[in-house]
Amino acid sequence: MAMVDVRDVRKIYRRDAEELTVLDGLSLQVQAGDFVALMGPSGSGKTTLLNLIAGIDKPTSGTVVVNGTEVSRLSETQLAAFRSHNVGFIFQFYNLIPVLSATENVELPLLLTSLSKKERRERAATALKVVGLADRAEHYPRQLSGGQEQRVAIARAIVTDPKVLVADEPTGDLDAKSAQEILDLMETLNRDFKKTIVMVTHDPRAAAKAHTKYHLDKGVLTS
Amino acid sequence: MKYLPYVLKHLRRNWIRTASTVLAIALCIFLFCTLQSVMAEVNALLEGTSANRLVTRHAVSLVFNLPLSYGARIQSVHGVKRVAINSWFGGSLPAKKEGQESGEGDSSTTDWSNFFPNMAVEAEPFLAMYPEYQLPPDQYQAFLQDLRGCVIGRKLADKYGWKLGDTFYLESFIPPYRKPDGPFEFVVRGIFDTDPVKYPGTDTNIMLFHHKYLYEGTGRGVAAGSYWVEIEDPEQAGAVSKAIDALFENSDAQTHTETEKAFAASFVSMAGNLALLLNGIGLAVTFTILLVTANTMSMAVRERRTEIGVLKTLGFSSPQVMGLVVTEALLLGVLGGAIGIGGSQGIMWMLTHAPGIKTALAGIGLSELNLRPLVASLGFVVALFLGLAAGFVPALGAYRARITEALRAV
Repeated sequence: MAMVDVRDVRKIYRRDAEELTVLDGLSLQVQAGDFVALMGPSGSGKTTLLNLIAGIDKPTSGTVVVNGTEVSRLSETQLAAFRSHNVGFIFQFYNLIPVLSATENVELPLLLTSLSKKERRERAATALKVVGLADRAEHYPRQLSGGQEQRVAIARAIVTDPKVLVADEPTGDLDAKSAQEILDLMETLNRDFKKTIVMVTHDPRAAAKAHTKYHLDKGVLTS
Repeated sequence: MKYLPYVLKHLRRNWIRTASTVLAIALCIFLFCTLQSVMAEVNALLEGTSANRLVTRHAVSLVFNLPLSYGARIQSVHGVKRVAINSWFGGSLPAKKEGQESGEGDSSTTDWSNFFPNMAVEAEPFLAMYPEYQLPPDQYQAFLQDLRGCVIGRKLADKYGWKLGDTFYLESFIPPYRKPDGPFEFVVRGIFDTDPVKYPGTDTNIMLFHHKYLYEGTGRGVAAGSYWVEIEDPEQAGAVSKAIDALFENSDAQTHTETEKAFAASFVSMAGNLALLLNGIGLAVTFTILLVTANTMSMAVRERRTEIGVLKTLGFSSPQVMGLVVTEALLLGVLGGAIGIGGSQGIMWMLTHAPGIKTALAGIGLSELNLRPLVASLGFVVALFLGLAAGFVPALGAYRARITEALRAV
């Protein structure tokens, strides 16, 4: 069974009487352990598709199944629980909480678990070690470079050990060297930690890291 | 509890804004607690009044005295049981003169730090209409037989350590009540207590002496400050008051008669409805602070719209995100409340210990001003309400925020 199974999904945005169809009968299967890149021009629906897979938005019609759960049928509260257990999200602009240190940022998703403070700290430390930032654990986002911030964001995404990582242009705000480091890290997560990764990118070098590439244009997916 | 460090970090994020908001709430609670405490003391003072006692004073102002002949005429009014002169003496212990060891007895300088209410009364009828003042019979007799004698309340006796037979001197700041040859000498002939259960609000920080002593001492030049009138039936207070005032309608000194409670209220407030004024100020301040705090909270949450989107993406449910904002607002309320209550207690301590103000308060019967536990508790509840009310709308916004829109926020 596919880790991500998107079937005949339509997504229509409505504003007053105006309707905008972003995804039109789209289907996509991502196998467990796959590394998929979604490419396409701006406004093609890449981020919308990613949001549907991550469970932060719902399709107008069709089904989205992730790790055996039909996320398109879950309530808002169930979706929140689903996200905390199954999906790690990596943003283009890192979106770290500025008042929290690297450790505290990584620890944030673990507040939703029943782990003790000591256990949370240990797991956060492990995640930071995985991304190579063990020595920056007490640094605040303003004290880190863009690449380091993104690595903290990746540590936050993997700290709950989710099956699926979704990344929305993870290298879009980084210089070439930092971008390469992030891509190498994601490759490691996919290869060594068996994470299924779905990544939206405009960058051909980033897409080259993926096993499978899809092109999305006007809501239609082509490989 | 595990979310508390997260909330505290956010409060420290913009500490100037947080401090301003906390201080705004603190100011509100400070005013609330202080004004309510004053009100509580005033109410306690009014509780000590009786429904069957009236006060007849000069229609123009308390400053003007009434003729001594009015007493007998008031007594003749139907429904009046007894009448007694009661003149507010305004005396205080003479201060120590330069080069003198003792401050009492031979000085004409007034020491305002030792001011307390003291009245020149017609002893027999006055004490008869005041069952609140419980005086042993032998002391009562001793007081009646000594023109220089006085009776003092237990609180006053404790304050100065006065015992029966002790002598002290008072000098009024009111010129007609001053003797050319120095202060009035008084001998403590009685110390009265009260039953706080039966007569709540009765202040024993008071001294009574013979009006005749004042009259004789000043060369028979003074009249009556006011007349205290005991009536047969409290239900008839209105009719009796009108009848008394009608007696002197066409005289040079017209009278104004009112219940003791109304008199005490007007004496304390001196103008208008004190409760309405104080509550009005309190309400206006509370409402203003509520708007300011709500605006501040809204700004704080709006700035963090992306973070709210991130929290929800990480798996925080809408109620949990709302809870974080509400907790933040409540913490502001708790901090503001604590500071406000502390400040209120502090200012009341200062007021009751600062010489000039202490004197003024004692002069209108407010010898004690304390932050009562009930007022402090109410103040804290108001602070929590302020925090909650201010945080509710932003919290609701955080609850409703859609992740996709929140993440797009700049």
